[in-house]
Amino acid sequence: MTVSIDTTRPALPQIVPPARTSGTDGRPLLSVEGLSVSYGGTTVVRDVGFTLERGRSLALIGESGSGKSTVAKSILRLLPAGESAVSGSVSLDGRELFGLPERQFRPLRGRLLGYIPQDPSSALNPVRTIGSQAHEAAALTGESDARVRRRDILSVFERVGLPDPERVYASYPHQLSGGMLQRVLIGLTVLPRPALIVADEPTSALDVTIQKLILDLLSDLRRDLGISLLLITHDLAVAAERADSIVVLKNGIVEESGSSSQVFSTPTSEYARQLHADVPALNPDRYRIQRGAASGTTPADASPAVEVHAATKRFRARDVDVTALDGVSFTVARGTTHALVGESGSGKTTAVRLLLGLEQPDAGRIEVAGTQVHGQTSVGLRGLRRHLQLVYQNPFTSLDPTWRVSKIVREPLDRFHVGERADRARLVEQTIEEVGLPASVLSRRPGQLSGGQRQRVAIARALIVRPDVLVLDEPTSALDVSVQAGILELLSRLQREHGLSYLLVSHDLALVRQLADTVTVLQRGKVIESGAVDQIFARPKHAYTRALLAAIPRTSPGPGHPIA
Amino acid sequence: MSRSYGRYALLRAAQAVIVILLAYVGTFLVISVLPGDPITNMLRDPQNGLTDDEIQQVVAHYGLDKPVVIQLILSLGRFVTGDLGFSLQSNLPVSQLLGDALPSTLTLAGTALLLSVAIAVVIAYGVQYLPSRWARGVLRSVPSLFLSVPNFVVGLILIEIFAFRLHAFTTIDPDSAAATLFAALTLAIPVSAPLAEVLIANLDHESRQEYALVARSRGLSQARLFARHLVKPSMLPAVAMIALIVGELLGGAVITETIFGRDGLGTVVQKAVTSQDVPVLQAVVSLAAVVFVTVNLLADLVSPLLDPRLDATSRRKATRERDATSERKLEVPA
Repeated sequence: MTVSIDTTRPALPQIVPPARTSGTDGRPLLSVEGLSVSYGGTTVVRDVGFTLERGRSLALIGESGSGKSTVAKSILRLLPAGESAVSGSVSLDGRELFGLPERQFRPLRGRLLGYIPQDPSSALNPVRTIGSQAHEAAALTGESDARVRRRDILSVFERVGLPDPERVYASYPHQLSGGMLQRVLIGLTVLPRPALIVADEPTSALDVTIQKLILDLLSDLRRDLGISLLLITHDLAVAAERADSIVVLKNGIVEESGSSSQVFSTPTSEYARQLHADVPALNPDRYRIQRGAASGTTPADASPAVEVHAATKRFRARDVDVTALDGVSFTVARGTTHALVGESGSGKTTAVRLLLGLEQPDAGRIEVAGTQVHGQTSVGLRGLRRHLQLVYQNPFTSLDPTWRVSKIVREPLDRFHVGERADRARLVEQTIEEVGLPASVLSRRPGQLSGGQRQRVAIARALIVRPDVLVLDEPTSALDVSVQAGILELLSRLQREHGLSYLLVSHDLALVRQLADTVTVLQRGKVIESGAVDQIFARPKHAYTRALLAAIPRTSPGPGHPIA
Repeated sequence: MSRSYGRYALLRAAQAVIVILLAYVGTFLVISVLPGDPITNMLRDPQNGLTDDEIQQVVAHYGLDKPVVIQLILSLGRFVTGDLGFSLQSNLPVSQLLGDALPSTLTLAGTALLLSVAIAVVIAYGVQYLPSRWARGVLRSVPSLFLSVPNFVVGLILIEIFAFRLHAFTTIDPDSAAATLFAALTLAIPVSAPLAEVLIANLDHESRQEYALVARSRGLSQARLFARHLVKPSMLPAVAMIALIVGELLGGAVITETIFGRDGLGTVVQKAVTSQDVPVLQAVVSLAAVVFVTVNLLADLVSPLLDPRLDATSRRKATRERDATSERKLEVPA
């Protein structure tokens, strides 16, 4: 934990944390009753109700489309005006919010009710300095002296663990990392001391290790300042770890609600049980049994599917040399899954680009299925790519939105002249069926498909030329937990049936533990640890690996239960 | 920022100079291939009563007997040193003619530019925030109306209503402040339309960004949100457009000056065209090129100052620092 908690700072005088057992007047801080929201006739939230006591935290959990963000935005009264119809009752601190005219509600914004958004990189005005925007938050304390406000801002920046607050103050948003921006936003939200903070998936746009630090920071501030938290998330593990109680939403309806430990350990609804089973961190061995057969029977003498030996790649950015990869070696044994792990900037992406022949290494040797990749001509690379296909991270951008699914999946066949033209349509249908999609999607365009369906189409496109190796570049990071589980299920089935070798690129160690047999941990272009997944997870040697492991949410709710 | 921005500015300025010179060469060549030689025509006019010898002397003086390439080089040399020659019509120095006409036109075009930006901002704000959906819809169609009514019709309507009916200004004194304002309005209305379209689209986009939501969650009022957060990012793409608009304003000024009876660049151009006054035409075209290129240069130079994201240097530095920071965080695992 990098954040030093010092509640004696002058600008943030210590306040007495409210007693957890009793509200000031016995009434809950936030009470939502019969909340329904509809957009143009379509009801997206139906009769949702819950209460949140003063100083406590509540997690609203569900997949995308469950209406959890809509609930949050209607409490904040930030739904687009004129497009949505809201009914029900939301009372905060004894005040009914829905009847209030905007003129009377506006003074409560920020002061009583704070908001931490999902994607910090778009949550600050890109053309104004952070300092100038921070003054808007600092002004909510009623402080009229700009110099005092500035001091408040700098001290809250320090409080949320930002190194060099002066520099942050003078920076523009694009000059800071996502983690730093989220610290800025959290700092600005707590600065006016609201009674309630609504955090809408506050970490889903951040790297895993940063996620943990940000959630820790939120928990600390909440405890020290006595702020209540309404946390919106799709991750049951995060919800259980960070909130006192949980409300599970599905299709805009409350499926289940109760204390965290209750919902987590003895879920009563089928959906909550499903959510539990889908979280990678909670089910490390989910796919191990079905994969066991494939990975166990690999002949020892078979050449590896992928071999990278001492690959080095440097980039020149105007005046500085950046060594993206520094003597990196790893192998993927046939029929197994190897994971490349590391944060943004660790060299994962460069390694994949070298493997695909998109870049040439400055030194080292790269072989796929016994054929060398480095120094190949474009014609040679084309042949090679039949053996090596890529499933890209974001299915929302990796499929041409103007093409029909049938054309997308068929394209590699035409490109590589596979089979007779007449056979290709049949092969497309067969592959679509294999990835678990109905034949009816063939005539649709990507825009008409869900995220999970799109990723299945991307997998079908890669699979159709029957490659030996699939490179999976963060294949589920853009998807909800429950959709992720379906994709992972599919990938492990395909591996078993076709003897595929996977190179999994990820920063999510919970996912790696579920899916991979061996793992290489990269940091700043260097291999710092590699070996069998079981061994690395049980006995990490390097501090960096331990930090990555610590980012996996704990397997049981409440503090003091590290990973078994 | 400083060094790479300086290099960028220098490069763009050099490009601008080249464009201006090319524009001059282009006009020179076009005029020289036109059939008929206006200077000799004028000299040969029997009314002037010049002998062949005298004509030869004048022609030699102007270098008109030399090959076109030599003439071009001589002419370019004079242009670069600021010598624009003499008007064939009035025998006055061209620089003096332009100098007399320019202030009036610049006042007109400058006022029109400010008005067009103001009109565009008001329309865009109204389209975004008017309480009545109906009024918003009506306002949204205003730019296309502005665009489809010709400049001179607007001018005549304004004169009819404000000069003749309401007596807000008189057409007898076209250089009075009120008359200038209405002339500028005539010029501004069609020009504001594309600007308003761009602003409306950008405001739509920006107000849907998460940062607008976050700012609202801090209790900012609609007007403050608009003024402090949305205007600047919405205007940035319009800066490049304003540069193009200046070109339109210069063109429109000719017509507007005629309608309102103002003496300006428009009048000079009109006379020069009818009398084939080549040095004046050459100078006016070059002036237009200079103005156009300069305004575009300014837009290019100002954009990176207004939009911090366009500054490549700070981004590179930031990336390095960002790597260093995430590093630091990881070295102290929880």
